Amino acid sequence: MLRATDLSQSYGDDPVLRGLSLDVAPGEVVAVIGPSGVGKTTLLRTLALAVEPTGGRVTLDGTDPWAVDREARLSLRRRVGMVFQEATLFDTSVARNVAYGLRVRRSWSARLGEGLRSLVGADGTTGAVREALEVVGLAGAADRHAGALSGGEAQRASFARALAYDPDVLLLDEPTSDLDPRNTAVVEDAVAEARARGIGVVVATHDMHQAERVADRAAVLLDGRLIETGPTDRVFDDPDDPRARRFISGELVY
Amino acid sequence: MTVPVPLEPLVAGVELPFRDGYVPSIVYVSLYVSLTAVALSTLVSVPVAVAVGLTEFRGRRLLTSLVNTGMGFPSVVVGLAVLFVVSNQGPLGPLELVFTRRAMILSQFVLATPPITAIALSAVAGVDDGVRDAAHVLGGTRVDVALAVLREARGGIATAVLAGFGRAISEVGSVLIVGGNITGADGVSKTRTLTTAIQLEARQGRYETAMLLGGVLLALVLAVNVVVVRLGGGVRR
Repeated sequence: MLRATDLSQSYGDDPVLRGLSLDVAPGEVVAVIGPSGVGKTTLLRTLALAVEPTGGRVTLDGTDPWAVDREARLSLRRRVGMVFQEATLFDTSVARNVAYGLRVRRSWSARLGEGLRSLVGADGTTGAVREALEVVGLAGAADRHAGALSGGEAQRASFARALAYDPDVLLLDEPTSDLDPRNTAVVEDAVAEARARGIGVVVATHDMHQAERVADRAAVLLDGRLIETGPTDRVFDDPDDPRARRFISGELVY
Repeated sequence: MTVPVPLEPLVAGVELPFRDGYVPSIVYVSLYVSLTAVALSTLVSVPVAVAVGLTEFRGRRLLTSLVNTGMGFPSVVVGLAVLFVVSNQGPLGPLELVFTRRAMILSQFVLATPPITAIALSAVAGVDDGVRDAAHVLGGTRVDVALAVLREARGGIATAVLAGFGRAISEVGSVLIVGGNITGADGVSKTRTLTTAIQLEARQGRYETAMLLGGVLLALVLAVNVVVVRLGGGVRR
């Protein structure tokens, strides 16, 4: 279980998150909704244990990564995956991109051996890589160069890259904001698949319909706080907070 | 059946103004000095470029300007400075490096390091921040992140190494000053490089030899280019 407690995050003197709390259970999808620029990306990066919060804590199964040594923090970080809004794939094949997370988890000697084998043309595509590519519908694209993918395919490959090493928690930052309906449907199916595997998923989105389609719970982020959190249906149909009500009805424009 | 090829009269007609082994020995000295200097420069420059490119610190811009300035070091001035350093009274005097290949390597190292560092730094800085972020959140350590960035920058780094090699193999001033353009009694080069040989042959009016050596120098640069570009991942998209 990933848990944020009274979490704050600032850039310099500029507070972005002002004390918010959020739980993500295994096999649960939580949508974080809010207007653009409200700090969804900052929240996800902090939940990904990529940056230390300036206040409060993030814990994974009760352990605070910023209270343990670097090695322990690395192994906590490695149980979390994140997909960015813009898919930045490495300048190599799709399969090698998707294998990246698995590769960095291996010992240096294993990686050296793998590199030497790939020089003589051995196919390093493992079962986990193939499986992750199948989830996002890119099973046939393993050997293509990442640069040759369309935007939608690149975003799906980026999803597969985070899924391949079987994280406990997956953080998706506006995963479909630049995608057409077909690619969006593939990504949403992949979210459902991750959920079925028992992965806790946080989706940051400004698309409220998407939140309704994929999420068990929804949280509304405004002014650095989660002003409304609850089961998706309730948050959308009957929000308690008046500003959340106005945001969901489309009145509140930032 | 052998066809008699009338090569001998051709060669016999031309008086080659050097002995056997002269040209190969010059090529060897040129390549040995420049490749060694560039290899050492690369070992220093690339880690520095990655470290400077991936970290924020005070004085980073100043350091970058200094490196960029270093690209314009005049080679004769560098040669003079290295000569002072390795001369008997200089700090490296006891090593007795004056008019040796090692001194030439030292001066070419000084000349090649700034361009390699500057171009590698700009290649590293040009890598999308998303690459670092991705490598980091996918579970990479700091070393993994640096390697991922290095891999993305490989084309630019190949260019950097080539620029450094181009600077080293083509310069005359510093190798002339610290190396002395020496051949042994047997006519074989000790510290004579293609550039210093060309300069000498041209000054003595032996233009055919100078041209021949110039052609060899161009061919060498071309060959090294091909090898480095291939290692650097080929033609970039």
